Amino acid sequence: MKFLVLLLALVTCAAVQALLPAWAWFGGAQAPVLLALVLFYAFHYSRRWMLWCAFAAGLLQDALGQVPLGCSCLCFALAGLWAQRHREDVDEQAYISQIIFGGVAAAMMTLLLYGLLRFKGEITLPVGDALRKTLGTVLLAAVLTPVVFRVVLGLERRLGERPALETGGHP
Amino acid sequence: MRDRTLVGVILAGLVLLAILNLPDSVSGRVRGFIRDAFAPLQDLVASASRQGQETLKLARGVSGLMSENQRLASELARQRLRLNELERLEEETLKLRHLLDARRRAPQRLITCEVLGRDATGWWQALRLDKGTGEGVRAELAVTTPEGLVGRVISATTRTADVLLISDPKCKVSALVSRSQAFGIVVGNGVTPQGLPTCRMEFINVDRRHGVQNGDEVVTSGLGGIFPRDVLIGRLDNVKTNESGLYAEADVVVAADLGALDYVFAVADERPGAPPAPAARPAAEAGAP
Repeated sequence: MKFLVLLLALVTCAAVQALLPAWAWFGGAQAPVLLALVLFYAFHYSRRWMLWCAFAAGLLQDALGQVPLGCSCLCFALAGLWAQRHREDVDEQAYISQIIFGGVAAAMMTLLLYGLLRFKGEITLPVGDALRKTLGTVLLAAVLTPVVFRVVLGLERRLGERPALETGGHP
Repeated sequence: MRDRTLVGVILAGLVLLAILNLPDSVSGRVRGFIRDAFAPLQDLVASASRQGQETLKLARGVSGLMSENQRLASELARQRLRLNELERLEEETLKLRHLLDARRRAPQRLITCEVLGRDATGWWQALRLDKGTGEGVRAELAVTTPEGLVGRVISATTRTADVLLISDPKCKVSALVSRSQAFGIVVGNGVTPQGLPTCRMEFINVDRRHGVQNGDEVVTSGLGGIFPRDVLIGRLDNVKTNESGLYAEADVVVAADLGALDYVFAVADERPGAPPAPAARPAAEAGAP
């Protein structure tokens, strides 16, 4: 069942991310829905499940875009590992924790991906535009991460993966 | 326990390293498999989103029947494209300018494609279409709308194709100014904060007698074998020429509304009887992500 929930969440998040338009005001920042899902798994699950989620989300994002296969997997995995390392230091149920973790992970992810793509010669985006895009992604992640957390928690409860009135813990 | 975790992380790292270093052919197959598997859902979501928008319009009394509207929009777009082409043909006939090239101007076969979505990462100016190699859409085909050039297909799977828009900095198009026949390269320049896709045209050795000026129409030159000639790209704006006249550049206001595309045409192979497009592809039109 855990696998089914992960699959369903991945497919839904990928479809939503592909549908949402890029934010032109911030250098074409795209809503980081899949990153928010990886953070959810980093907060609520073991390292193994988080890495599975990061790999699958990365592959999906790369296949649905033009990014060379594997680059997003690396970025998601690093963001997930970072979030998991610090999850004990914060109240994972608090919106503010989700907002801050979402923002920081989005910044890490965008800058890392920018570095990788520039290194591979795949993009020619100037640094200024990349920073604008990073800022946009941070803002979008700050808004989206709590929403994705609520939705996936709701999905897990509906599918019986999590007790209806659970308040915390790491399954 | 700690050892097991370490082994797990090392294994994950090795798998990642293998994915990052997959040969292009294998990586392309994996990418194609995921895309094709995902295409029906993406199609469903795109249709649902479009239908939602249509329903909203309907509720506001703006739109008619959804399906009829879609069919008519597609038909209208096709007819407008035909009309544009006829007008251009008439103009050319009057000027007798392209008389010798008339044989080469056989109309191409157009494949109507629906736009499924945009690049999911936002790093590229790209579109995904609902047709792929199964319907004749393959890499390096030009993509247009009745209003003008949209871009070119950079990759295609059996069921989908990805289009690099002309506003992407990696997209370069050999072009000319209709009025003065000044040649240049149109390069993508990204999107403005207002969401307007922009391009830049670079000229080398501008003819001083005719020059280039704001408002001039820019069309594809047909050189390179990817884009058919005389497809409207846009109009010049903010022309800057240096004193020697050897070098000039200008912004190009793109004719096609790249921000709101629902249907586009992939320009497939020419109809029987027309000479084949040149196979060579100059560096000017290269550059794919």
